[in-house]
Amino acid sequence: MSGMNRRDFLKYSGAGILGASVLSSCSRVASGFTGAETVPEGTLVFSHGPDSSGTIPKVIDKFNKENKDGLTALYRQAPADSGQYFDKLRTEFQAGSATTDIISGDVIWAAQFGPNDWIMDLSDRFTDEMRSEFLEPTLETNTFDGKIYGVPWFTDVGMLYYRTDLMEKAGIDAPPKTWDELMGMAREVQEKTGTQYGFLFQGAEYEGGVVNGLEFIYNAGAEVMPPDDPTKIVIDQGDADKGLAMQQRLVVEGVAPEAVATWKELETQDAFIKGNAVFMRSWPFVYGTILGGKETGSELKPEQVGIAPIPTLAEGDESFSGQGGWNFFINAATKKADDCFKFIEYMIQPEIQAEFAVGASFLPPRASLYEDEKLLKDQPVIELAKDLVTRAKPRPRHPFYSDMSLVMANEFNSVIKSDSSPEEAVSTLQGELERFANLGAEVYDL
Amino acid sequence: MGVASERLPGRKVKPKGMSGAWGSIRSEFNDPEKRTAYWMILPTTLIVLLVAAWPILYAVWLSLQRILPNTTEWVWFSNYSRMFSDPVFYSALSNTFLFTVISVFFEFTLGLAIALALNKSFRGQGLARGIAIIPWAFPTVVSGAMWRLFYQDEVGIFAALASGLGYEGVILANDASVLIGAIVSDVWKTTPFVALLLLAGLQTIPDDVYEAARVDGATKWQQFMRVTLPLLKPAILVALLFRTLDAWRVYDLFWSMSDRQLDSLSTYVFEFVRVSQADFSIGNAAAVFVFVSSIVIAFVFVKVLGVREEA
Repeated sequence: MSGMNRRDFLKYSGAGILGASVLSSCSRVASGFTGAETVPEGTLVFSHGPDSSGTIPKVIDKFNKENKDGLTALYRQAPADSGQYFDKLRTEFQAGSATTDIISGDVIWAAQFGPNDWIMDLSDRFTDEMRSEFLEPTLETNTFDGKIYGVPWFTDVGMLYYRTDLMEKAGIDAPPKTWDELMGMAREVQEKTGTQYGFLFQGAEYEGGVVNGLEFIYNAGAEVMPPDDPTKIVIDQGDADKGLAMQQRLVVEGVAPEAVATWKELETQDAFIKGNAVFMRSWPFVYGTILGGKETGSELKPEQVGIAPIPTLAEGDESFSGQGGWNFFINAATKKADDCFKFIEYMIQPEIQAEFAVGASFLPPRASLYEDEKLLKDQPVIELAKDLVTRAKPRPRHPFYSDMSLVMANEFNSVIKSDSSPEEAVSTLQGELERFANLGAEVYDL
Repeated sequence: MGVASERLPGRKVKPKGMSGAWGSIRSEFNDPEKRTAYWMILPTTLIVLLVAAWPILYAVWLSLQRILPNTTEWVWFSNYSRMFSDPVFYSALSNTFLFTVISVFFEFTLGLAIALALNKSFRGQGLARGIAIIPWAFPTVVSGAMWRLFYQDEVGIFAALASGLGYEGVILANDASVLIGAIVSDVWKTTPFVALLLLAGLQTIPDDVYEAARVDGATKWQQFMRVTLPLLKPAILVALLFRTLDAWRVYDLFWSMSDRQLDSLSTYVFEFVRVSQADFSIGNAAAVFVFVSSIVIAFVFVKVLGVREEA
C-alpha cells in the first residue's frame, strides 16, 4: 500500500476520521446529491445549487422540449452553500464516483479542479471566436496554466451602494471616488440625517470576507499573486498593507460598525434596506431585493439608491471589483463530452442568458447584452452594473486556493478586529501563501 | 471433565523444548473445549478489530505520511511537529481546554443543586423533572443558532443587556466573549443532563442510611458530606467523565454559535481534513491527537479517580 495517494485513500476509507472510516466507504454507492434517482440513458446530468427563481428548471424544460440531436438534461440540485457543494464534488472526484456530467462551478474552482484533471480542458471546444464575445474577466478566471476549463454562465461583481436621497440632503452630488472621500461623506450625512451606520461591508471570517479584503488590497494598487504566475506571491511588494489599514480605519473610526467583523451579506443587506446605512459594499443581488420593495423586506425605493465603483485608496487610481459568478465545467470522467458541450452552447446563447438575467437576476458574461435595449429595460440592474463588470478582478487562481482562502479569511478578519496590524497580516500572508504557492509549483509542476 | 484432567499431565510435558509462549498457545488450542470457546468468540473479536482497532491504527498510520493530491510520502512525525508549531492549534487547544474545565465545573455544581432539589418529593415533581430536561432535548445546532441570536448585536437580548451594563464591544466580534457565550450556552443546555444522572444516583441511596445518620445526631451538612457525597461518587464520576469527554470533542456548538469563527480541536481537524488540500495530513495528526487526549482523560477518570472500582 506504499503507493497510496489521496484518491486511493478516499476510495478505501472515505474521510478517514477515527471510527467513521469503515462506514464512509459506503458513500461510494450513493450517487450524486439527492441519492438514488435513476437517470435515463442518454440524459445529461447538470448540477447547481437551489434556484428560488425557478428559471433553471424552466430553461432546462425548454432544452428538453427542443430535444435537439435527441438530447435531454436533468437538473440535479446541489447544496446551497457553495463550500459544501465544493467539498461534495471534491470528495466525489477523489473517490472517482462523480456522476454529474455538467457541473456549475464558482469562479475559483477552475484552478482547483482543472490541474487535478477532474474537469475537462475546454481550450479546443471553447474557441477563440466564441470567447471573443465574452467579458475578459469572466474568461480570465476560468483559465489556469494556459488552459481554459470553464465557460462563463453568469458573473457577479462587488459594488458600492449609496443613498442618493441622504446624500442630496447633505448637499453631496456625486458618490465618493476614494476611501477618504467616503469617510468624509459618511460622517457628514450621518451628522445631518442621523443615519445609524456610515458604511457596511462583509468582514466575517469566510469567503466573502476574503473578497472584501482583496478589494481593499486591489484598490490600493497591490496584488496578491501576479495574474500569469501562480508560483509567486507579491502581497508584500505593493501597498497591500495600506489597503488593509484603510479597512481597519473604517471600523476603528466608527464609520463602519465594529460588528461588521461578524457580518456577511445578509446582515449588511438587512441593515441597508431598512435605511440604516449611507454606504454599503455588496453584490448586485441587493438591488433585486430593493426592486422587490415591501415584499422582499425593503423599506427603500430604487430611486433612493445609487450604485458606484468601489472607492480606491489614492485619487485617480483604477477601481477594481471582487469577482464572483458561476461557470459550466464538464466532468472529465463523462463519456458524453460532445453532448455536454452542446448543452453548454445552448445555455450561453444570448436569448437564454437574457432569460437568466431577467428571471434570476444573473449578470450575463456576454458583452453585447449590456447594449441590448430590451434587456436594459427588463432588468435595470444590467444598466447599473455595466460599468462594473469590466472592472472585475479574480481572486488568486491556484489549485490550493482553499488553503489560501483559510489564511486570508483569518488574517483579514483579525485586522478588522484590530487583533493584528496590517503590516503583521501582510507579512504572515506573504509567508503562508508563498508556502502554498511553492507546494503547488512542486505538486502540479507549474 | 475426565478427558481434560487426563490430558493435564501431558500438557505439562509437551512444551518441553519449545519456547514458553508458543507452547502455551499450542496447548490452549489442543484443548477441544477451549478451541470451541475461541471459535465462538472469533466473530466478535474480528468485528471489534474491524470497527474499532483498524480505523484507529489506520488513522495513526496515515498521520505519519504526507498526503498530497498526487503523491504520498512517509514523513514520520513531521505532521505532528508542524501541528505543534501552528499558533491556530494552540488557540484551538486553549479554547477547548477552557471550555471543558469551566463548563463542566458549572454544569456539575448547578446539576448537583438541581438534582438535590428534584430528589425531594413535592407536588408536581414529575412535571418539574420534565421541564428541567427540556434544554437538553434541543439539538445542539438549534440551540447554538438560537444563542447566536441572543448575542447578536442588532436583535440579541444578551447583547442589549451587556450594553446596558456598560459593555461596549460586540459580543460576537471578540474571541473571548464568544467563548464565554459558548460556555453559557453549554451550561444552559447540558446542566439538565448532569442533573438527571445525579438524580438517578441519589435515588439509589437508601433512606435508612440517612435515618441512621440522624439517630447518630448528624446535621444536614454532615449528612450531605458524609453520606450523600460518598454514596453518590460513582454517579458523579460517570457524569463528569461523560461531560468532560463530550466537551473536549466540542464541534457543533462552537460552529453553529460562532458561525465558524471559534476554533476547537475538532473544528481544527475539520478544517484540515475537509477544507485544506495542501495540509490534509496535519488534520490526520490532529485527529489522532484528539483521540489520544480523550483516551488520556478517560484513563485519568478510570484509574486515578476510580470510576470502575466504585461503580
